[in-house]
This record gives sequence, C-alpha cells and structure tokens, in this order.
Amino acid sequence: MRPFLTRRRGEGPWPWLAAGSVALSLSMLAGLLLLLAVGGLGHFWPAEVSEVTPREGAPFAGIPVREERVVGSERRERLYFTGNLDLDGERWRWIPLDAIAALEAPPELVVLERRRWGDFLGHLVALEDGGRRHAGAAAWPALEERLATLETLRDERDHLRDAVVAPLVRRLEQGGDPAAAAELARANARIRELQTAMQGATLVLESVDGRRLEQPLAEVLRAWRPNAMSPPQKLAAWGRGVWRFLSEGPRAANSAGGVWPAIFGTVMMVLLMSVVVTPFGVLAGIYLNEVARQGPFTRLVRIGVRNLAGVPSIVYGVFGLGVFVHGIGGSLDAWFFADSLPSPTFGTGGLLWASLTLALLTLPVVIVATEEGLARVPEHQREGALALGATRMEMLTRVVLPMTVPAMLTGLILAVARAAGEVAPLMLVGVAKLAPQVPVDGEFPFLHLERKFMHLGYHIYDTAFHGDDVQAAMPLVYATALLLVLVILVLNLTAIFLRHHLRARHGVASRA
Amino acid sequence: MTDPRQLRRRRLRDRLATLLITAGGVGVVVSVLAIGVFLAWEVVPLFLGEGALAPAELWQPQPVEGYAEPQHRWRPEPLVAGDAVHYGMAPLAWGTLKAALWALLFAVPLALGAAIHSALYMPRRLRARLKPTLELMEALPGVVIGFVAGLVLAPWVERHLAGALALVVTLPLGAVAAGGLRALLPAFLRARLSPGWAGLWLAPWLLLVGSLTLWLAPALEAGLPGGDLRGWLEATWGLDVASRNALIVGLAMGFAVIPGIYALAEDALSGVPASLGEGALALGATRWQTLWRVVLPAAGPGIFSAVMIGAGRAVGETMIVLMASGNTALMSLSPLEGLRSLSATIAIELPEAAVGATHYRLLFLAALLLFAFTFLVNTLAEVVRTRLRRRYRRLEGSA
Repeated sequence: MRPFLTRRRGEGPWPWLAAGSVALSLSMLAGLLLLLAVGGLGHFWPAEVSEVTPREGAPFAGIPVREERVVGSERRERLYFTGNLDLDGERWRWIPLDAIAALEAPPELVVLERRRWGDFLGHLVALEDGGRRHAGAAAWPALEERLATLETLRDERDHLRDAVVAPLVRRLEQGGDPAAAAELARANARIRELQTAMQGATLVLESVDGRRLEQPLAEVLRAWRPNAMSPPQKLAAWGRGVWRFLSEGPRAANSAGGVWPAIFGTVMMVLLMSVVVTPFGVLAGIYLNEVARQGPFTRLVRIGVRNLAGVPSIVYGVFGLGVFVHGIGGSLDAWFFADSLPSPTFGTGGLLWASLTLALLTLPVVIVATEEGLARVPEHQREGALALGATRMEMLTRVVLPMTVPAMLTGLILAVARAAGEVAPLMLVGVAKLAPQVPVDGEFPFLHLERKFMHLGYHIYDTAFHGDDVQAAMPLVYATALLLVLVILVLNLTAIFLRHHLRARHGVASRA
Repeated sequence: MTDPRQLRRRRLRDRLATLLITAGGVGVVVSVLAIGVFLAWEVVPLFLGEGALAPAELWQPQPVEGYAEPQHRWRPEPLVAGDAVHYGMAPLAWGTLKAALWALLFAVPLALGAAIHSALYMPRRLRARLKPTLELMEALPGVVIGFVAGLVLAPWVERHLAGALALVVTLPLGAVAAGGLRALLPAFLRARLSPGWAGLWLAPWLLLVGSLTLWLAPALEAGLPGGDLRGWLEATWGLDVASRNALIVGLAMGFAVIPGIYALAEDALSGVPASLGEGALALGATRWQTLWRVVLPAAGPGIFSAVMIGAGRAVGETMIVLMASGNTALMSLSPLEGLRSLSATIAIELPEAAVGATHYRLLFLAALLLFAFTFLVNTLAEVVRTRLRRRYRRLEGSA
C-alpha cells in the first residue's frame, strides 16, 4: 500500500470551473448594474470644482472626471471637465498627475449652466442690471434672486406660447376670427413684454486664469457654487436635477436637458401595443388550448408560435415597414389624405405603426403565457362546470378564465417589458431623434397616431452615437439607460412575483 | 326546470363565441405565420424579370475597379453619382456568423458551466433565487448592453488590451486555484465554503484575481519583444486591432445570450430522471463522473437545443452589433477586427433606401435570410426538445 502515491479522490478542476462561471455571470450582471447606477445617478450630484495650478502654464478650474494610465508609461493622467467652450474652444483637458503643482477648492467658484456654449466654470465678478452694479460679495445673492425671477418669467412665457398662442394660431388658420386675432395680438404683446423683462442684465465673469467675459443673464439657466454647498444642499440639488431630467425636454441636440418626451413616447407606444396585443394574444391562446382539436396540427402551430418568439426583432421591423407603413399606410394616404400628398400622413413611420409592429413582436409572449396558464387549470374544474350544465362558453368565462388572469397578466407584463427595450424595429417604423410635438395634445382627435415619437432606447442610441460631443452627453446616456433598465427590471420583477404567486396557488402544473 | 328557449339562446351564444375565438385564433396564427411569405414575396422580383440579379453577384467575388483580384464588396448605393454599385452580401452574412460565433464561444462555456453547477451542486433554495436573477439579465435591453460595450468597454479594452486578454487565462485558473486552496484550509473554514454556495463566494475571489491580473498586466506586456502588445500582435500575427471589434461584440452579445442558454440547459439537466444519477452515485461514481458519463449523455439533445436557440438569438441581435462592431463589412476571422452584420445593415440602410429599388429588396432578402435561419434553428431545437421530454417520460416510467 502506497497511499501517498494514489491520486487523491476528488472531482478535479471541472466543478470549480462550473462554479466560477456562475460567479462570473453574476459579477458581470452586478458590474453592469453598478456601472449604470453610478454613471446615471452621479451625474446629478453637484461635483466639487477644483482650481488646478499646473507646473507650467495658466491655472484652470475643472471637475475631475476620471483617471487613466498613460499608454506605454507608468504615469497617470486625469481628465477634467473645464467647460468654457467660448473661451478655450474645448471643454475637456487631460493633465498628467505629476504636472499638477497645486489643487484647491475655493468656495467662491461658480458653475453656470448656459443656453449657448455649455457650462461656465470660474469666478463671478459682478452683476450689472440697468445701471446698478452688484459686485464682490453682493453679486452672488443678487444673481440667485435674478435667476429666480427669470425662472418665473420663463415659465409664464412658455405657458403663454403653448397654451394660448399655439391654439389661437391654429384657429386663425382654419378661418378668420376677429376675436381670436385680437387675443393673439394681446398674448404676443405680453410675450414681448416678458422677453424685454428678461433682457438687460449682464454678468461679468472671470475665468480662473483671469480672462473676463460678459454674459447676458437671459442665457443663463442655473448657477450654483458646489464648493460652498453643504451635503443637505447638495442632496436637494441632486433631487432637483433628477426631477428636471425626468420632467424636461432635451436641449442642445439631445446632449443636455431631460427625457420627458422620450418617456412619454415610450409609455404611449407600449400602452397602445398592450391594447392591441392583449385581446389577440389571449384569443389565440384560448383557441389553441381550449377550442382547437389537439393533434399534430395544433402541435405544429404551437411550435411555429414559439419559434416566432425567436425571430429577430429587426425582421418584424422590416415586416412592419413593408406591410404597415408602405402597404396599409400608403393605401390610407391614397384614399383619405390625397390632398396632402406627396407629403405622407400615414405612409411614413408613426406611433400607430410602431405599436402594431411591437404588438406583432410580443404576440408569441402573450400566447405562450396564456396557454401555460390555461394548461395549469386542473381538468376536473372544466369537467365539473360542464357536468353542472354550463356551455363551453360559460365554462370558459366563469371558471377557467378567472383562474388564468394572473397568467395572462404575467404574459402582458413580460410583453411590455420586451417592447419597452426593443429599439431595432422602431428605427424602421416611426421613432424620431427629436419630435417637437408629443402624440397627445388638446387638439382634435387628441391622440395623433400618425406622428413620430421619441423613445428612451432610441434616445440612448442616438445620443451616444450621433452627437458631436459624445463625452459631454455620456452622463445623460447613462441616466437614460439607468431609467430604461429600472423600468424593465421593475416590470420583470412584477411578472416574476405574479408567476411565483400563481404557482403557489395552483401547485405544480397539473396537465403539462 | 330550464326554459328550452333560454337553453337554445345559450347554445347559440356558445356557438357564436366558439366561432369568434376560432376566427380570431386562426387569424392571429395565420397572420403571424405570414411574415415569411410576405418577405419572400418582396424578394422574388429581384431574381425575376428584367434587370434580375444573378445569385453569383451576391455571393461570389466580383471584379472591382482598382483591384486585380475579384472582391467581395457591399456598396449598394454609389458614393458619388456614376460610381459602380456592388451587391456582394457575403461579407454581411460572414459578419453575422462571425459575431454569433464569437458570442457563442464566450457564452456557451459560461452558460453550460452555470447550468451544470446549479443543477448538480446548488442547494434548491439558492437555485430558486438564481434562475430569476439570470432571467433579469436576459431582460436587459440590447441598446443598453450595446451602449456599454461600444462606449465604455471598447475604449477600456483598447487601453488595457494586455490585461483584458490575460483575464481570459487567469479567471479560469483562479477558479481552479480556489478549489485547490480550499482543500488546504482547516476543516471548519472548509465547511463554511461549501461547493454548493461556490457560485457566490467565488465572486469576490475572482474579482481579486481579476484586479491582480490587471495590476500585473502592464509588467507582463513590458516583457514582450518591443514592450507593446499591439505592435507585437501586428508584427508577429499580422493582426490589426480595431477599437470596436468582434471580441467586444462577442463579449456583449455573449452576455446577452448566456441567460437563454442557461435556462434551457438547466431545464434539460435537472429534467434527467433522478434515478439515473442516483444509480451512478450508488455505484461509487463522483458527482462529476456521474454528470459526465450519465447525466450529460441523457441531457445532450436538450443542451444541443439550448445552444441552437442561443445561436438563433445571436444571429438576429441588432442593437448590440450595431453599437459595438464598428460596422465595417470585412471578410476576416480575426477577433480584433470589426464586422458588419445583416441585421445592423438593415437597421442602418433600410430607412434611407428607395422603396421598391434593388437595394430595398436586397435588405428584404437579408431579413428573409435571418428569418429563415432563426426559424430553422428554432424549429430544430424545439423538435429535439419535445423528443427529449418524451424520452425522459419513458425513462421515468421504466425506472
């Protein structure tokens, strides 16, 4: 016996590789979610501005973004967001760490969010307002006060434009109406009044290296002094930032501002899709499971339907483009909207066609879920109902379907989750980079099915790949991606919970 | 007592409802199945009538101005007026398959490993938690994965190429080393780190191994001739490194298809009748021997169908390829060069193509190809799976 020479009886390395793949998959998932959460939520935090004094050259103010190793050497360099596009000609600056002589965070540094040229980082020297000059320590309180007034003026103007002027203009287009004309003139006069009230004040700004800049105050959207803010103040600012992101429209070619129209478009499309997909999916599920004779043919159809869930989404997009947009839409245009041709009404991508395409795409999901739910209803329930004299219809509506509702709901939620994340087919059937009008407004017929719409997923793709300064738009892309992922995760968790609840109620599958 | 008139009304209503359901059901099923027919209908004019394309124009190298040899070239619209157009679809089909191949190379080992681990070693409670978690992973939209791959991962890998390539070697080694090290631990610690929970406690360990690798990678790279991996790759292997390349696509799309393959493979493995495995264990086989000699052969067709369905998904995925691949129509197998897939080509070019023109119909042909491929692959997988389920039932009956 030579026990030390026999191989130790174990299972070898394979089980550990298998366990490692679970660990790796989970870490990748966690890493991705963490990346999105940090990238998306961090953007709204008022980051500290540092005043960087390099060993050579003028000092500058910047917000540190990230650090990298310089390729091919041991040195590290740091990327700063410096803003001031109008002064420097660019917004970013890399600087090697060993080239920094001093780093400070003076509390008086301001960050201004401007309509043109992006952010300004530097000192506030004075606020000049119609001959009065607030300089030094008085400048900042004066600026805060003026910005608050500006905000209310701006709100009033926007409200006038959207709620008063636009409908009046449409009324005038449809036919001369003297009362409307007078009202319009009054509203326009008020808007001009507001515009003048906004003009006038000027900020005198100074960059950290001492260059002066005159900035009309009307162009400034917001101002803050991150280094002077306390943590609760920062938290409040963060909350306001998140809210603005959710409630405002995009600015500066989608690279700034919020995503409200995209949220609205996504929700609208998904709602329309649900309205279409639920009845048809449920109907087909009931037919396959309850009405059709079970045999090789239904089995074949079932395999076919299941397979359609695996057909690439882009193929549905191509189908939607060919059949809905050019086929049905083209015919609708020729019949009903001939006077506006050649500019198409329904013969181009729009909300309706996108919803129908996605309904087709998610149909298999609903059918399969309904069928699974129906198969779970014990046979004796059906037999009992029939034995008591119910017709098949009554058996279905009173006994079987009520028990299947959670399954259908699960299917619908999964369908919605899938549809909300699908982008490729939408690119063919109606999504827009920037849709000035949301598909719902106060004008008859209120829901404009032919309009193009914005979509969160497409917003991510477009902003990330077609902007001119991708680096600057990145935080917004992160935030949008986080929002989309959160929506989809919540929907899926609801579906998982419902399914779990369902299993617990009915026990294991009784017929499958 | 039932009123006969009422009974008749109820019967009538029942028949009407049945008719309605049948009409609706048949209508939905037919219209859904009509997708393929419609696509084929749109493609047929390409090959019939005047100006028909010869299949050779699509799939074989054609003479291109400025090149001595015939080339595969996809340029369906002239760049400047009067320029020649080329309809070579071979690079696109190639790009699609290449992306799918790299995705599967990454996803299949991971997904199968995860399935084996969770079916064989994991406690039931943990497995019940793992499945929905990986389902969530499947639900992540392609556009988000594509964004992370194209704008975060690709630049990072470009800067840390050596580290990223080293991870491929060190992570599996790290997992195996963890097993070896665990055997050396004192008994009470070893009991804590049970193999059943290894999927969880290995994660921080792998994270440690990974960061160590990345930390040491620059030193390793300096040891190469020239001290630069990129230059070395180019000099020794003739490999050109593009920022957005097939490796990134494979990684991102692999991430997207792992959950699908995992779910089906796990179903197949845990569906194997318990009596088979118990018999092997009773005869003294280790768990791994049982798996390798008994469970895997029994579940083989199920695993095959899982991989097939993963392949179908990888071939059709659009947004990830579109955002992470660079979209250059090339015919190379190199993982470090870009590619352009059929699906991405449709997404980019179809909105701009003139309705009814050759280009438009070619893109429909691309869609038809994708449809046919995924439909075939999925049908195959489904048939295999149904057969397998029947076999399990028989095995269970005879046991």
